[in-house]
Amino acid sequence: MKNQQAQAATGKTPVRNTRNTGPGRLLIAVYGVFAISATARAGYQILTKFSEAPLAYLLSAFAAVVYIVATISLAKAGTTWFKVSVAAVLVELVGVLVVGTLSILDSVQFPHETVWSLFGRGYGFIPLLLPILGLVWLYRRRPSKVAAAPGNAAE
Amino acid sequence: MDGYFWIILVVGLVSTLLCLGAGILKKAPNDVTLLSVVAVEAALVVYLVGSIVRVIAGEHIAGEAWEFWGYMATAMLLPPAAIYWSILERTRWSNFVLAAVGVTALVMAARMNQIWY
Repeated sequence: MKNQQAQAATGKTPVRNTRNTGPGRLLIAVYGVFAISATARAGYQILTKFSEAPLAYLLSAFAAVVYIVATISLAKAGTTWFKVSVAAVLVELVGVLVVGTLSILDSVQFPHETVWSLFGRGYGFIPLLLPILGLVWLYRRRPSKVAAAPGNAAE
Repeated sequence: MDGYFWIILVVGLVSTLLCLGAGILKKAPNDVTLLSVVAVEAALVVYLVGSIVRVIAGEHIAGEAWEFWGYMATAMLLPPAAIYWSILERTRWSNFVLAAVGVTALVMAARMNQIWY
């Protein structure tokens, strides 16, 4: 089992329709950390000071949901989960770009920190980097490629 | 920043560098990288025990106490989770997963310090 997975990661055996092996594991791990921290932060903000900046904190909660969906879908096999992953990562990319831009242009409406404020500066710009790496990884492990050329699909 | 933070900073950075290096050299997780992550967990245990002692001794946490303990509990879950995962798939990529633990722990320890003082 472990050998099969290791071989799949190096492209020596037919690649299954999964994205939870090799570099994907690192991606899932980082997404998982963001899912936990964003959920905790949004929950804390909404419970303690929601009225200060409802829009920003709702965005925080939305970001948390996106990270949770991305983490789970990346870990699951199959074409349906692949589509869920693509949707989640695209939403994340649009979110970080839109919120990042708005937080610079309109600091009145977005005065409070969210994960995506200033393109994720508070988190070392990882929120900006993650969706790009996510899309690259999803593209390389897309189901059609796996089905069409099972022998040399990965790496 | 107190002594607990600096311990976690040093142990976390060493662990991250070791795991990154092993990953770059295309090595699978080995005793060195796994034990370095165990050391991160040990540093967190020291912080946990120290914090419990300080609270019992009457010291007051400046920020939200439950936020502090929430960070602590989450941080302590990361090393076991990463080790478990890296044992399931022993490829170089698992070393990068292990490398993420040290940095994350040190960021969380910094946040815990802010909450405490």
